[in-house]
Amino acid sequence: MAGSDLFVGTLDVLILKAVSWGPTHGYAIGRWIRQTTNEALQVQEGALYPALHRLQRKGLLDEEWGLSETGREAKYYRLTAAGRRELRAEAARWHEHAKAVSLALSAAKP
Amino acid sequence: MKRMFRLSIGERGVRRDVASEIAFYIDMRARELIADGRTPEQARAEAAAAFGNIARIETACRDERRRDVRRRAWREGVGSVAADVRYAIRTLVHAPGYTAAALFTLALGIGANSAIFSMVNGVLLRRLPYANADHLVVLQQPVASLGIGDIAFSPLEVADYRAAMPRTEIGEYHSMSFDLLGHGEPRHVQTGVVSADFFRELGVRPMLGRTFAAGEDKDGAAPVLVLSYQFWVDQLGADSSIIGQSFTMNDRQHVVIGVLPPLPPYPDRNDVWMPISSCPFRSSPQVKSTRTARMVSIIARLPDDTTPADAQRRLALVEERLQTTYPDAYKGVSDARITATPVHSSMTDSARPAFLVLLSIAGLVLLVACINVAHLTLARQLRRQRELAIRVALGAGRRRLLRQLVTESLLLSIVGGAIGLLVARVAMGALSRFASRFTVRSDAIVLDWRVTLFALGVAIIAGLVFGVLPIVSDRQDVVTRLRDGASTAGTGRVRLRGALVVGEVALAFAVLVGAGLAVHSFARLLETAPGYDPQNVVTARLVLNFTKYKTRHEMRALGDQLVRRLEAAPGVTSAAVANAFPASSSQPRNLSLFSIRGQPAPDSLHQPRAEVNVVSAGYFKTVGVPIIAGRAFTADDRDTANVVLVLSASAAHRYFPHESAVGKQLSFNNGKSWSTIVGVAGDVRQFGPAVDVPEQVYAPFASTGTNDLRILVRESNRAALGARLLDGIVHSIDPLQPVIDVETLEDARRDVLASPRETALLLSGFAALALSIAAAGLGGVMAYSVGQRTSEFGIRMALGAERASILRLVMAQGISLVVVGVAIGLGGSLAFGAGMSKLLTGLPRTDPLTYASVAGLFLVVAVLACLIPARRATAIDPASAFRAS
Repeated sequence: MAGSDLFVGTLDVLILKAVSWGPTHGYAIGRWIRQTTNEALQVQEGALYPALHRLQRKGLLDEEWGLSETGREAKYYRLTAAGRRELRAEAARWHEHAKAVSLALSAAKP
Repeated sequence: MKRMFRLSIGERGVRRDVASEIAFYIDMRARELIADGRTPEQARAEAAAAFGNIARIETACRDERRRDVRRRAWREGVGSVAADVRYAIRTLVHAPGYTAAALFTLALGIGANSAIFSMVNGVLLRRLPYANADHLVVLQQPVASLGIGDIAFSPLEVADYRAAMPRTEIGEYHSMSFDLLGHGEPRHVQTGVVSADFFRELGVRPMLGRTFAAGEDKDGAAPVLVLSYQFWVDQLGADSSIIGQSFTMNDRQHVVIGVLPPLPPYPDRNDVWMPISSCPFRSSPQVKSTRTARMVSIIARLPDDTTPADAQRRLALVEERLQTTYPDAYKGVSDARITATPVHSSMTDSARPAFLVLLSIAGLVLLVACINVAHLTLARQLRRQRELAIRVALGAGRRRLLRQLVTESLLLSIVGGAIGLLVARVAMGALSRFASRFTVRSDAIVLDWRVTLFALGVAIIAGLVFGVLPIVSDRQDVVTRLRDGASTAGTGRVRLRGALVVGEVALAFAVLVGAGLAVHSFARLLETAPGYDPQNVVTARLVLNFTKYKTRHEMRALGDQLVRRLEAAPGVTSAAVANAFPASSSQPRNLSLFSIRGQPAPDSLHQPRAEVNVVSAGYFKTVGVPIIAGRAFTADDRDTANVVLVLSASAAHRYFPHESAVGKQLSFNNGKSWSTIVGVAGDVRQFGPAVDVPEQVYAPFASTGTNDLRILVRESNRAALGARLLDGIVHSIDPLQPVIDVETLEDARRDVLASPRETALLLSGFAALALSIAAAGLGGVMAYSVGQRTSEFGIRMALGAERASILRLVMAQGISLVVVGVAIGLGGSLAFGAGMSKLLTGLPRTDPLTYASVAGLFLVVAVLACLIPARRATAIDPASAFRAS
């Protein structure tokens, strides 16, 4: 996923979005990103994990351990208040960015 | 069910968590692929490949986890400490009595220690402001047979030592007072006279301009001056344009070339400095060619590889050679033995024992204070049993509870320490003055970071001592007992409190004995008759400008005129001039050798010697020294060829033990001329009562003269003659003559006594502190004990015990504690007294009177401290006592 074809920070904001509906474990986060981006951002699935731990260290994510759908103990991530604020700010930034780029690309010859 | 936190995260936990998290992902991914139709093997391989380098990713995750764990642990720690502190503040505010008492005691204890430590720090620990301080030694020639610490060196000897020790830099120094003219009124300045390389040798860089250049101390060099920092600031308003300007001194122009940084007043407190070529005395042909013109000191800088002891051995060889080569130059001082003392020790040696004794006394006071606060804390913990029990019941662990208690005591002690620093700050000025009696380094006594750190350290140690002592010294663990819900103190606890009181009394007793010894020795000094009458006598000093008063005749003329005018002034009973007066200096000056007509001359080492005082006819009457035999000087004793003398009683007794001294003759010039003794005067303890009576010979001012005049005026009532009037009379004769050191003889005597007085005061302060703290501790324990025994006393009284017997019971308990404490303190202070004796004069350290009175005082205080609780015990109403229990 994270790689040269991905803007820096894109993975982070996708992770924040993935956990925004409630505690989610790493596998579910990865699956959600793959599916919602139509597997377009597929590089190395494992890169998800250092990003998760980094976000946790920054205090944007918190951890809980619980049983997964298959009955196994799994680590669940959950947005902290700071994480929610970060998600809101980053999403706004992305929309701005996308709007600007799309405006520029659809412009007619001056 | 979800586990909320996994906080038991160590390194192994982190490893396991990360591994299981990643394994979970790969498993789930493989399941997904199997659902898509892969075989399990294919699915696993594909899932792992898609994941990437597992080992590297795990490492990256673990790094992040570790950092996170550390961050959480830190927050956790800070958070819980903050919570503890908040809780401690709350509980302490709710116990204002305890808090105030503990803070007060700790502030005094820590304040006293910080103050004394600031003296030790400033004087003994701080580096001297000389870059070469570690290699500087002061050379001295003490003469044991004369009891003189240093006969100093002659310029010829300086040259010899310099030639014999080429690797050692030998700096020459002496100090003189001159009149400085120009830039405002005439000033009388103390002038350090040094060789040109003196400041470079010390490692002192000028603050402005430069110090002396090589060659500026050679004959014929232009006169130059370097100003001391203090003089530059106080007298010249720190005017930096002063460099290059000139002053008139000794009728010559001296150009100011530099200003020194602030330095300790060592070897003397000098206002200005000049090279030896500028000093008219030092550069006179006579001084330069006379081997006995010993007027200068030597400060030497040793090579890096030479210790002071090495240097002293080598110097001694040189001195031995000089003594053999020039036996005449060592006549009367043939037992002079050169010494090399590090400059730092020469500045601080006399302060060291006093300061260390004070520091240990302050330490004892702090220990007493800690014990007292431990008492308070113990009592408070018993009162808090219910609160603590509730906290235990709510699940607070033993560690947590202990931490809470220690947090409270540390908070108290640190706040107490901060208040103590303020106390120390207030005391700083007085301490600096006190220290200046012992050392020139008293200026360095300030409240710096080291003192602050010391106070903090002492506070923390004190907090741990009084916070932990009540918890751990008890046999039964406080927490365990709290958990068990015991409501009354066990006997172990009572015994502990008794032991604390005994310790407190013992320590306070030792401190009190120290103070008692100091007070007693001071009282003894005061009782000693000085041998003169210091009341209503004013003195002043005139250092005559040698360019104006060249001959003794001119000096005598000035003195005669002064006495005449002073005696004519209203309110003056009598007046005199002299070269010294009782207590005009704190040290005996050099002694003069003499021979006695008709007595065989002993070898030069045992030749008679005495201090010669030059006094005018009215001296004995003015100062109040009685004439025991013969007569005093009269106005007619002005024959310069046949000088008459008055001997002090001790000198007369020593040299003429079986006959009258009157009529006998002495010679101070090996028999070239003889002087007749006309009278014997009473002994004067002029260097303070502590020093042995010096043997003195008085000679008439009218037939000798001196250029360092002391004016003495006895007035009909105190302060009849103002300082301004005295100035006026002097200036009516010589308008350009500065009048300095105007003071009363009583002040001069007080100055001599100041050091023992201030020592006694300081120690008394400590003793009062220790005594009151110990008394409060004793009273508290007795009150507590009476409270505990209320029902017991009630039963006793119900069974018919008299109130008096209850009183006796309580008193006996308290006093037995004190007696045990005093007994222990007695043993301790006998050992401790060895150190004390350094501080005291003329008193054996086992002075029984002091010990007895201190013990007596303690018993009185103990009775008073026990009386209040004892009376409360007798007031117990048996019926209500039963109800209460």
